[in-house]
Parts: sequence; structure tokens; C-alpha cells
Amino acid sequence: MNRSNGNLQYAVDIVMCIDATASMGPVLDHVKDSALSFHERLGAVMGSKGKAISQLRLKVIAFRDFGDCPDDAIQQTDFLRFPDQAAEFERFVRGLDAIGGGDDPESGLEAVALAVHAPWERGLDRRRHVIVVFTDAPAHPLGSPAMTKIRGYPQNVPRSMTTLFEQWGFRQSRAALMENSAKRLLLFTPEESPWTEIADDWNNTLFFPSRAGEGLEEYEMDEIINTIAHSL
Amino acid sequence: MKLGQVLRGYRITTRPCNDGAGKCMWAVAEKDGREYFVKEFLDPRRPRPDSMGTAESKHLLLLQCAEFERRHWSVINRIDPADLDAGNLVTAVDFFADGSRYYKVTRLLRHAELRHPHRLGPHQKSVLLGTLTDSIRLLHRLDIVHGDLKPENVLLNQPPGSDLYTAKLIDFDDSYVSGDPPPRDAIGGDTRYAAPEWLRYVRGDSATGPERLTTAADLFAIALMIHAYLVGELPGYPAVHASPAEAVNAGDELRVDLRLHPHVADVLRALLDRDPARRPPIADVAGVVSTPAVLATGHVDRPRVIATNDVSRSPVRSTRLRINMGTA
Repeated sequence: MNRSNGNLQYAVDIVMCIDATASMGPVLDHVKDSALSFHERLGAVMGSKGKAISQLRLKVIAFRDFGDCPDDAIQQTDFLRFPDQAAEFERFVRGLDAIGGGDDPESGLEAVALAVHAPWERGLDRRRHVIVVFTDAPAHPLGSPAMTKIRGYPQNVPRSMTTLFEQWGFRQSRAALMENSAKRLLLFTPEESPWTEIADDWNNTLFFPSRAGEGLEEYEMDEIINTIAHSL
Repeated sequence: MKLGQVLRGYRITTRPCNDGAGKCMWAVAEKDGREYFVKEFLDPRRPRPDSMGTAESKHLLLLQCAEFERRHWSVINRIDPADLDAGNLVTAVDFFADGSRYYKVTRLLRHAELRHPHRLGPHQKSVLLGTLTDSIRLLHRLDIVHGDLKPENVLLNQPPGSDLYTAKLIDFDDSYVSGDPPPRDAIGGDTRYAAPEWLRYVRGDSATGPERLTTAADLFAIALMIHAYLVGELPGYPAVHASPAEAVNAGDELRVDLRLHPHVADVLRALLDRDPARRPPIADVAGVVSTPAVLATGHVDRPRVIATNDVSRSPVRSTRLRINMGTA
């Protein structure tokens, strides 16, 4: 909460890209519970540092596999403002079921691309734009005709990793969609393609390799909060 | 970096994390029987031939990397470890790129736990503040702005068998040459200890250009820190403001604790001036804190009565949750 006109105003936008395929079943409940308590925990940490977030918005992109079932390959919310739209957020998150997906890989890169294209906040004094990816699988490469020709495949998803890299951008890039000083990407993913390559090449990316059979744990949510609370 | 990985001979011995960090990952490492603190920067990433991106992007990234290296080396090279005042600066022992990532290495410090430094005796406070101001005096003599002075960036060291604490200053990653700060959207710092001109600069005030961000910004922060070290809290300001700098920019005066010796109170008030040019140099501050007699503040372990419109101020934290997170 901002308290006077002279105070710095902080805007935090977070997009959670959550793998909702069947293999994520054991961990999806943890992801959901953590997501639902996230804004309160963030507020507490910020408060302990004498800071308050002026505007907090969360968006969820649940992904499965366009190659398996295009109809539910992407489910997403708009950016939802907290605490006003917390109930809407909760309804969506609680409604996620770990189903489908078929065999690895999944459509995780499409989710990241949609996150990059999200309508991030551009106002207020200081911004933090965070994309968090939770998955236990590698991702389909971008641009495969077998995927892009599927009905309902998002048209704004780039057809190559090079283009997606350019849209993520860097300080002096001309094609970036993300604001360089604001953006962070947190990968809770296995050490498999394309996640390792992204971790190597994309700036402002934190890679926390996941281990098979393990899900979102306490320390993982702390790491998301650290990314926000200690850099604003 | 990963647990067990070896980087330039440094074997990573803890799981890398971002605890307390927004712009890096860090871990503890071992080399030749000594422990080190290793920081991995999030930005920039150094492109390789097989990295993603167009040729033009890789060219621009390489230019950015060159500037990144120049900025870090400019701070590292300015500080002579042999300087008499450099003993309490925790400076980099290594700075390098490995693959696409940049790393900075410092010696690992095991700091003392001291929850209430304001309860120290005057002589102890004098040693603590003296070592801190000596470090800042060296930086300012070299025209370096620390850029993120706050208790979290001061580790307290207690030599074996001694009841004294010395201050080890860490984290120079937000440092810059006086008058030449990073851009408004990239400059580091913490609003709790930030100077009024830093706040105006971040907010895009056209009258506050980069030339206004000088070593005097550190002086505002050190005044807040000294106040906190002596009485356990920041100076008072109306609760409508979120930080001392915001209060000063709004024209409100920061209220220095009345239990402070008049000499100390006068220096702190001068350091907290809205106008950077009117703040006394760090040498003046060092002169005051070198006199234990003026650092006696009486019964400071009992919270003083705070007016109802004052903010609830966080007590100073003299020690770190982590080891030497943020060191450069």
C-alpha cells in the first residue's frame, strides 16, 4: 500500500506456467496450495523489509500437450489483481486437474511464449515481471509443423527458439517484449532440453533443476519470493 | 552453477540459492582448503557461438558484457588491498566468466551474531563504527559510491578472545563512480537507507540527473545506520512516508533520538540534509565516532516513547541471515 505521493510505488506481475499433465498429479496439489498462499507470504516478507507492493497481479497458464489433446493444451487466466480477484484466482487454480499429456515432451515452451506476450504492467515506479515454470518434462521444439498446424495452436507463439529468445530480450535488444530490468524467469524444471539451454542463454533466469518425483516444496516458493522481495 | 560443480578450481559445496538475493544466485565453495563465497550474476549472459540469438544480438550482448566487465574491474582495481583502510572491505578475490555466466568470488566470512549492537558499550561502538567509517572513507577517497549501505551489508567480526566487534563491509555490486550511476531503472539500492536524491533519480525527476548521485548518497545512509547502531532504530519520521528519504523529500524533518550526545546528533542531522552538498565528509563522521565518550546513550535497550504518528521502525539487524551474501 502506498502512503504518500512521494513514495515509490512497486508493481509486481507474476505468471505461473504450470504443467497440468497426468505425471504432475502428485505435485500439482502442492503447486496449487502454494499458489493460493503466495500473495500473503509475499506481503509478509515485503512488510518485514519495510516495503509494500502497490499492485500485485497473478496470471496462471496451465499447459499440457497440443500433440495429445489440443482442446485442453492451454488453460489460462487474465492477470488477476490481488487481493480483489483472489477468489477468481482460487476458483481457477482449484479447478486444475492433472490429466492427459501423453508421453514426454509437453507444450511448456508455448506456455512460456504466451507468458512473454502477456500484458505486463508498464507503469508505477519500479516493476518486477516474473515468469515461473513448473514442469517435470522436456518441451516440444517450437515451429514443428506437426504442432503449428493443430487447430487452436496459438498464433502468437514464435516459430523458433531464436525468435522467442529475441522476445525475451536483453538490455539493448530491439525485439524484446519483456522489460529487461524488471523481468525474471524461474525454472523449476528437469535438466533437459530446452530448459538447460534457456538457463544458459537467457539473462535474468534462475534455474532450479527438479528431481523426478519431487514437487513444489517450501524452499521453492521461498525462492520465488526472494526474487521479488530482494530486488525491488 | 550446481552443487559439486567445479568453477575455475572452486568446488561448489552448497546448493545454490537466491536467499536474500534478487539479482544473483550464490553458494559456498572450497578451493585449496579455504572456503569462499561464490556469486553467479543473472545478467548479462555471455553469448557463445552456439547460443541462441541473431548475429546482431550476439554482437550487442558482447558489447554489454565488455561494459559489465569494465564496470566491475573499475571498482575492483581501484581498491588496493594493501591500503591501511582496506582491511575491512570484503573485496573480490576472483571475477570471471565460465560458459555463459559471470561469477564473483570473495573469502567466506563467519560473522558474529549480535542481535542488539545498540547495547554495546561506548568503546565497543566506537570500534564498530570506526572500522565502518574507515572503509567508507577509503571508498570515497577513491571516488567510489558503495550504493547499497545498510546493516545487512555489514558483517560483524569478533576476534577470538576479544569483546570488540569490527565491521566488514560487503556487496559492491551496486557500486559506481561518483556522479556516474547506472540508469534510473537499473540502479541498485534499498529504499530504507536510500538518500533523497536517489529516490528522486529513480522516480525520474528531471532535476535530479546522474551527476547528483555522488558519495554524498552514502553519507545519508551512514547517518541512518549510525543512528540505528546507537539506539536500535532509525530516526523518526511521519508514518505517512514509507522511508526516511521520502520524508525528507516531502519537507519533513527526521527526528534524531534525543538520547544521543549533542555532537553526534548534530553530525547526524547534517548528514541527513536534503542537499547532498551540505552533508559533511565521511572524515568528519569518523572523527566523531572515534570518541567513545560521545557514543554513550544511556538506557537505550528500552524503547523510547514514540509519537503515535511515527512509523513503527524496524530494529537494526547487525548480522546476516546468511554468510556473506552480496559480497563483491
